[in-house]
Amino acid sequence: MDNLPILSLITYSPLVGAAILFLWGGASPRAARWIALLASSVSFLLSVVMLVAFDRDQSTLQFTETFDWLPELGIAYRLGVDGISAPLVGLTTLLTLIAVLASWDPIRHRVREYYITLLLLATGMLGVFVSLDLFLFYVFWEIVLIPMALIIGVWGSANRVYAAVKFFLYTLAGSLLMLVGIVAIYQEYFRQTGIRTLDVLQLAQGQYSEAFQFWTFLAFFLAFAIKVPMWPFHTWLPDAHVEAPTAGSVILAGVLLKMGGYGFLRFNLPLFPDATRMWAPAIVVLSVIAILYGALMALVQQDFKKLVAYSSVSHMGFVTLGIFVLNQPGLSGAMVVMLSHGFVTSALFLIVGVLYERAHTRDLAAFGGLARNMPVFAAFFGLFTLASLGLPGLSGFVGEFLALLGGFRAYRWAGVLGTIVVILAAWYMLRVYQRVALVRAPGEPPDPDDPERRLALAHGLPPIAGGSDGPHAYPDPRTFPDLTWREAVSLLPLALLTIWIGVYPLPLLEMLEPALAALLGRGM
Amino acid sequence: MSVRLAVPDWSLLVPPLIIVGTIVLLLIVDAVLRRPPARLLLTLAFAGQVLALASLWTIDWAQGATTFGQSYRADWFALAVALVALIAGALSVLVSAGYTESGLDPEGIGQAEYLSLLLFSVLGTMLVGAAGDFIVLLLGLEMSAVAVYALTAFARRRVTSVEGALKYFLLGAFASAILIYGMAWVYGSTGSIVLRDIAETLRTVVMPGQPLDPALLLALLLLAVGLGFKIAAVPFHMWTPDAYQGAPTPVSAYMSVVPKVAGFAAVARVLVQGLQPLSEQWTGLLGMLAAITMIYGNVVAIAQRDLKRMLGYSAIGHTGYMLAGLAAFTTGQAGDRSVGSVLFYLFAYTFMNIGAFGVIAWLQERGLGTTLDDIAGLAGRAPLAALTMAIFMLSLMGMPPLLGFYAKYYVILALIEAGQLWLAVAIVVMSAVSAFFYLRVVTRMYFEEPAGALQPARTPVLGLGLALTTLATLVLGLVSSPILDLVQRWSAALA
Repeated sequence: MDNLPILSLITYSPLVGAAILFLWGGASPRAARWIALLASSVSFLLSVVMLVAFDRDQSTLQFTETFDWLPELGIAYRLGVDGISAPLVGLTTLLTLIAVLASWDPIRHRVREYYITLLLLATGMLGVFVSLDLFLFYVFWEIVLIPMALIIGVWGSANRVYAAVKFFLYTLAGSLLMLVGIVAIYQEYFRQTGIRTLDVLQLAQGQYSEAFQFWTFLAFFLAFAIKVPMWPFHTWLPDAHVEAPTAGSVILAGVLLKMGGYGFLRFNLPLFPDATRMWAPAIVVLSVIAILYGALMALVQQDFKKLVAYSSVSHMGFVTLGIFVLNQPGLSGAMVVMLSHGFVTSALFLIVGVLYERAHTRDLAAFGGLARNMPVFAAFFGLFTLASLGLPGLSGFVGEFLALLGGFRAYRWAGVLGTIVVILAAWYMLRVYQRVALVRAPGEPPDPDDPERRLALAHGLPPIAGGSDGPHAYPDPRTFPDLTWREAVSLLPLALLTIWIGVYPLPLLEMLEPALAALLGRGM
Repeated sequence: MSVRLAVPDWSLLVPPLIIVGTIVLLLIVDAVLRRPPARLLLTLAFAGQVLALASLWTIDWAQGATTFGQSYRADWFALAVALVALIAGALSVLVSAGYTESGLDPEGIGQAEYLSLLLFSVLGTMLVGAAGDFIVLLLGLEMSAVAVYALTAFARRRVTSVEGALKYFLLGAFASAILIYGMAWVYGSTGSIVLRDIAETLRTVVMPGQPLDPALLLALLLLAVGLGFKIAAVPFHMWTPDAYQGAPTPVSAYMSVVPKVAGFAAVARVLVQGLQPLSEQWTGLLGMLAAITMIYGNVVAIAQRDLKRMLGYSAIGHTGYMLAGLAAFTTGQAGDRSVGSVLFYLFAYTFMNIGAFGVIAWLQERGLGTTLDDIAGLAGRAPLAALTMAIFMLSLMGMPPLLGFYAKYYVILALIEAGQLWLAVAIVVMSAVSAFFYLRVVTRMYFEEPAGALQPARTPVLGLGLALTTLATLVLGLVSSPILDLVQRWSAALA
């Protein structure tokens, strides 16, 4: 066990699947699906083994693997996980598996290529979370871009090319400056110590001047802020989400956004502690704006997917808030929000996908009353709605509570504002749930006893409680079948995790805390 | 000092002599057999270069031996240049397969001439790399260039081909004149044409902090302009897009690489070795040229619809990156990465650019044009060709883990080590800009529905060339340690 390169196995098993599919040109869509399922399952099971074997009492890196790659430049193949990255690795493998399942029926076009791309993406994402060498990290970071852009651009909806190119250029622009930052810190460390290395842990031992930290922090920050995405770097996100296929959105929201938050924790905080303190107030302001802005934008969306996308901006605001208040509850909260957002928002995108498969639209006006003919769906949907709005007992609450607690401690106003926004979240999420699952479907005759309707009519207002009485082009939601077993199987693990983290977050917090404490102890 | 009879050490000249032999053999075979099968000539040209590549191992480069007086130097730098030139030449032969095997022109000029011109150009480039004085340098540079002028005009019935060649020739000849004039001023000022001796003399003359002697300044400017033309740096780039677009595609592949190698080898020999004491002046000059060149090339490439023309402007952009690498020159000591990063860049650039043009040649062979519209939906019609093209585009863009990323990384590293942060930032900003047009190729190929059918292939040899370049682009970056080791030894040769 000790000598098993488990992180490499987790990271490259999707790649092996991709390679098999690439070489086997004649693979039928059916075979492609099964191979992808197999490869992602292997990766997932290995990551479960890794998480079980993970020693929660240690703050140091575990399962490390090292071998010299380009020794002349101090570049090495260094892998390892700590309490911060290990859960994210688990999240990535789980969501990859779910993405494979979620694409089973909806993707009917160039299936083999699709799964090659998806598996390649999985390897890139896993590599980002396990690499401890800045060069290696950068390589994986950039590798993620191409398959994600392809998934949006080839298998997305109508405006996909625009969204794919926008996504690509935005994130590329951010990460290129990070490359300069990487080389700069490498050179600075070499100048000071005479050692050429890109080992993150070793570089974190260096003492850098404030002016140097100021600019290098910014170079890294921009790359991660675009990925998170923080307001005002978020504009690529709604486009990318709306155009991406369901599985693409799941991966994008579930994992890719986490790469930004992870980057802050792994690089910005330990490498540039002084600059972090300098920039933190400004970033907290941006985070609060993001929380508020995302929620307000979500409130007015008519497109279900866009709504979830904007709610992501809001949730990720809690992540950056929690990180940059620079205290233990804040950091733990940020990590829990990241994981919780990974379960809940991915599930919500799956739910949008379920609806889209049936109605071929994401317009909220097309739905209504689904709780009657899709009870299982409505149950799942209800659970994730409540989790998303931060109901205690579900995972969203734990993270947001901790992040806000950290906010209160560091910046009272930020905590107050953040808490108010939680009400907005309840508003926009319940509005969707009401719209989709409860109210009258379009075309359904109005219920004369509906008090809300009567009230609205009495005041000369348009009836808000559902249905459109005029002609409409949407299929009747009353005919939609309930979840298929594959859809249910994809949602079930996410639901269980949401409940588990909500009810008993202790094991997770225990896993996170040593690493986060070490992070804070290092210079914060 | 006793006078000795200068007996040239022929053993140092084995690689270029093998190329000379191959050229002669090609022409004789063509003359004797009248109309020999194209495959035979192709094999000869390819085998000759592989043999020359193998013969590189027979020479002890570490010694840095010279022969023919100081004219010919067999040092690490010469090895690096010869390596790149021969690899580029061999790959170009493979990429030319479709073109030469199609019989070219039934009336006259044929494969033997085509291939021997190509080999002459490789030979010239090797000579530039090994030049110890101005004479050999100039000879090599001209041999490399003149052969390519002729190759550019090879499709002699097509106006664009002739036009491109004429522009290339006129500007090239003009540049040579300026270059020679600059060399004359250096000779007048220092009394020598041997690069080492020039550096020695200048070291005693040039005082740091003092204003430069006007004669030397003039010489420096003339040399910079002349060499700027040869490497197509802005504002001396005007010939490039027309020449690239007009030439037969395999020739474009070749001339986007090998004459550039010759040009950069000349810049390194003349400025880094010969005028090293003036480095304070020329690094500033090269830095400015680099910035203008990369900005111009990448920005104008965005507006291009023709792939060959786009790659022409992209080549200008890459010239800018490489010039930036030279501008990172600081001391010439072992830790200085400047020239090493440029050599590595040239090495990387060889594979990706010949590969990219190779895919275009492949498309032309199947009856497609060279515009962006022609490749729309290619991924549906020819998935492998689209994939290789995508790999080359992403590599040129500098996406890890492809070879082009490593090349850019080393240049950025050299710049930051030299404290030239602004150029490093310029490179990454321009890389982001370049993503616009490289990515457009990929989006057109992948995100659009295929239209029309492809004609069957005429030869599998081109495919072999593409497979080799793709493999190199994919893998060589990951195992770049030995190459890095080699290019890093330049300082032993040029210092």
